[in-house]
Amino acid sequence: MVKTLTAIAMLICTTAFAQTKYEQGMSKALELWGQGKNSEASAMFERIASAEPNQWLPNYYVAMVNTVASFSTKDRAQVSAMLDKAQKALETEILKNPNNAELLVMQAMIFTGWVVFDPMNNGMKYSGQINDLYLQAQKLDPTNPRAVFGKAEYEIGGAAYFGSDTTPMCKEIARSIPMFDAFKLESPFHPKWGKDRAEEALKQCGKK
Amino acid sequence: MKSIFTFWLSLIASIGFAQTELKGRVVDEKNKPIPGANVYIEGSYDGTSTDDDGDFSFVTSETGTQTLVISFLSYETSKIEIAIESYQPKTLKLRESVNVLDAVVVNAGTLEAGDRARVSVLKPLDIVTTAGSAGNIIAALQTLPGTQTVGEDGRLFVRGGEADETQTFVDGMRVPQPYGATTNNVPTRGRFSPFLFSGISFSTGGYSAEYGEALSSVLLLSTQDDPDQNKTDISLMTVGLGLGHTKKWEKSSLSLNAAYMDLAPYQWAIPQNVNWNRAFQQMSGEAVYRKHFENGLLKIYAAFDASRFDLEQQSINSPADTRVDLKNDNLYFNASYKGDLGNTWQLTAGLGYGLAKNNIGINQDDVRNTENAAHVKLKLAKRISDRIKFSFGGDYFITDFDESYQVFEGDKLKAGYTSGLSAAFAEADVFFSKRLAMKVGARTAYNDLLHESVLSPRASIAYKFGKKAGQVSFAYGDFQQAPRQEYVKFSDFHRFDNEKASHYIFNYQYTRDRQMLRAEVYYKQYRDLVKFESSTPSFDSDYTNTGFGYAKGIDLFWRDGRTFRNFEYWISYSYIDSERNYRNFPIEATPNFVANQSLSVVTKYWIEDWKSQVSLTHSMATGRPFTNPNRPGFLQEKTKAYNSLSLSWAYLLTQQKILYFSISNVLGTQNVFNYEYANNPNASGVFERREIIPTADRFLFVGFFWTISGDKKSNQLQNL
Repeated sequence: MVKTLTAIAMLICTTAFAQTKYEQGMSKALELWGQGKNSEASAMFERIASAEPNQWLPNYYVAMVNTVASFSTKDRAQVSAMLDKAQKALETEILKNPNNAELLVMQAMIFTGWVVFDPMNNGMKYSGQINDLYLQAQKLDPTNPRAVFGKAEYEIGGAAYFGSDTTPMCKEIARSIPMFDAFKLESPFHPKWGKDRAEEALKQCGKK
Repeated sequence: MKSIFTFWLSLIASIGFAQTELKGRVVDEKNKPIPGANVYIEGSYDGTSTDDDGDFSFVTSETGTQTLVISFLSYETSKIEIAIESYQPKTLKLRESVNVLDAVVVNAGTLEAGDRARVSVLKPLDIVTTAGSAGNIIAALQTLPGTQTVGEDGRLFVRGGEADETQTFVDGMRVPQPYGATTNNVPTRGRFSPFLFSGISFSTGGYSAEYGEALSSVLLLSTQDDPDQNKTDISLMTVGLGLGHTKKWEKSSLSLNAAYMDLAPYQWAIPQNVNWNRAFQQMSGEAVYRKHFENGLLKIYAAFDASRFDLEQQSINSPADTRVDLKNDNLYFNASYKGDLGNTWQLTAGLGYGLAKNNIGINQDDVRNTENAAHVKLKLAKRISDRIKFSFGGDYFITDFDESYQVFEGDKLKAGYTSGLSAAFAEADVFFSKRLAMKVGARTAYNDLLHESVLSPRASIAYKFGKKAGQVSFAYGDFQQAPRQEYVKFSDFHRFDNEKASHYIFNYQYTRDRQMLRAEVYYKQYRDLVKFESSTPSFDSDYTNTGFGYAKGIDLFWRDGRTFRNFEYWISYSYIDSERNYRNFPIEATPNFVANQSLSVVTKYWIEDWKSQVSLTHSMATGRPFTNPNRPGFLQEKTKAYNSLSLSWAYLLTQQKILYFSISNVLGTQNVFNYEYANNPNASGVFERREIIPTADRFLFVGFFWTISGDKKSNQLQNL
């Protein structure tokens, strides 16, 4: 009796302990990121990734933090190092889960980072791939709002510039908004970003 | 029972509380602290970031031997084994990563273009948007320093070398016939359409031991690993039609291209300096198939073209024109496989095959020749660390050439040869630090036609002064090449030796965001060049390998896309001093294809409101030497300077429809490339002459390019 009790107690003890550690770590890292401490947040996610090889989220956030930070970094050597780091972290996870829509959306974001880095040359090179990635992500998870919004947002820039009709993209953005609300989060740490940006983009659509 | 329970509890507790504090400091190679470095125990949550002084301290509940990981952006990640219990505070050193944008690049002699290069002089788009290039890779490269514009020939002449001293490689495999067939004074163009290539590396000297059989230069083209997407390209041009389609599957893709060119309507509308019986006409097709395997990539490339033209060539020595009627069929096939063997070993294997058939009518004589050439290569590379890479491999070239010359109602003369060339090479790339790197290698080859084996060492070294400063590099190499086909086809009558050259190159380069400055001085020495006594080389000429020569000069390049908004330009300047005593030269002299100074200014302006890119290219060169038999001397006079201004305009109707317009030599400058003198003086004792001029003063081109693709964004700006 006592033996069983102890065993159960230990089991609860260790799993609870582990879960807490992961949750604590993720919360802390997200908090650091929220405070704009990009390099510390990235370092923390990197440590969690090393301790939790079965979780894809830590590396996803390593990619995310570095890609987003690259957009506002001026030093070109630094930007390319950040995008390389993001790519490396993401690749580890894509190898394990090639059919994870969220990871494909992230890959499209890294490519977008390269386009921003050198639009003249990389625009041509990556546009097709970015488009393909979003389409593939939509196919894998039709409920994913980021795949729908990401594609529309990437396309709308070019269309607006050439004075082409932006209605189809605006329709897609409008379609993505209720999807953000309906999207089921598997854990509090799963990606949930994008709704505010989609709403902002939709406002711009309405202005024309 | 109770005691066991307590035992368990205390054990859990002790595991939970057996914590050790780890302390230390992270510094770079100069012992400067690195703040923000990530320090942690692999596989655990225990770790921290270093503070502003590079110090770290954290507690861990791990025990025993563990791996401590230290990582920081643009530094090499370091892993060290530590025993937790006996850990003492440590200073940990991180080395800067050498795989970063601002690391030193070993590139004396090499001009990179394309997306893989860290330092590009040309971008993929430039090949096509450079005015005057008209989609010809070679013409775009002629705006770079170290090249000579030889307008009546069209091929690449590099640093005082003849055109055939440059070898072209596609995915590492030699292309035996890189240019379209042509006749005297009608310029040729590169055979390959630019859009299948994602990278170009053009070496004007001192290149890697992997490449041989080139005295002056190598041009390395790499096909795309992956096309971006499914698409169809349609081109309608004043000179022909083109259709391309790319289809992607999960692990493979296929691109097909077909084109038909016919200059007849164009030449009917625009006056020509040459009498064409049949304007240039060409059918061509290209196919690329790529397949990804688990650990490798297979690429197959095939190109076919059939072309013909028929013209009347004038000569000062005969009152009647000479009719030249040329038909050329060409096939090129290339398969290459690149794969990982595990344990950082990489294998590259390739096969290249070229077949060229020419059928040339010269008045009523008939010349037919066929060249079959194959190249196989196997290369193994091992990455020992991020800083040391080693590669070695072997090559085999086989060439079979046959020619028959049927004199009208007369004899049939035959010539030909079969040569086999086997070679082996080895090379090491070493980064001593982010600032100092070196490449050393050697190549050895045996040619069974010449019965000669050679060994050629190659070495280059580069040093960068600082993060934002320039770098210097130096390259040395020995190079051999079998004498050109024009001579070796008479190998039945004479045994030739390899021609040889040594290169010494010193380079300075400074780059920052969208700006680049390059200066290069070089000295090149030629030995064992073929000499003969007769007026033209023939089977019974008296050949020797006693020719020699040199080339020395300075090449400058400046590119800037930063100073002015939407405006990008580059300036290339070359000064060369070169003389040689080869062929049937009586003395050492500067050959006709060398102009002492050349300058190219290329500008590109993107006009936002018009959605247009306007490009201007101005090429200038000082006069080229020629022999005036009316005065004593050899190659003693010079033509007037060469001057050409070209303009192009690409207008984006929509994202996928482009209207393109280009005109070469806008100002209509009357360029003279050379003079042809009469063999005999006229009645008053003067040798009369004829100017050798372009086949047309201007070339005008209008095209419409339409791409149909899923992303509605890509277009053919790349192909123009």
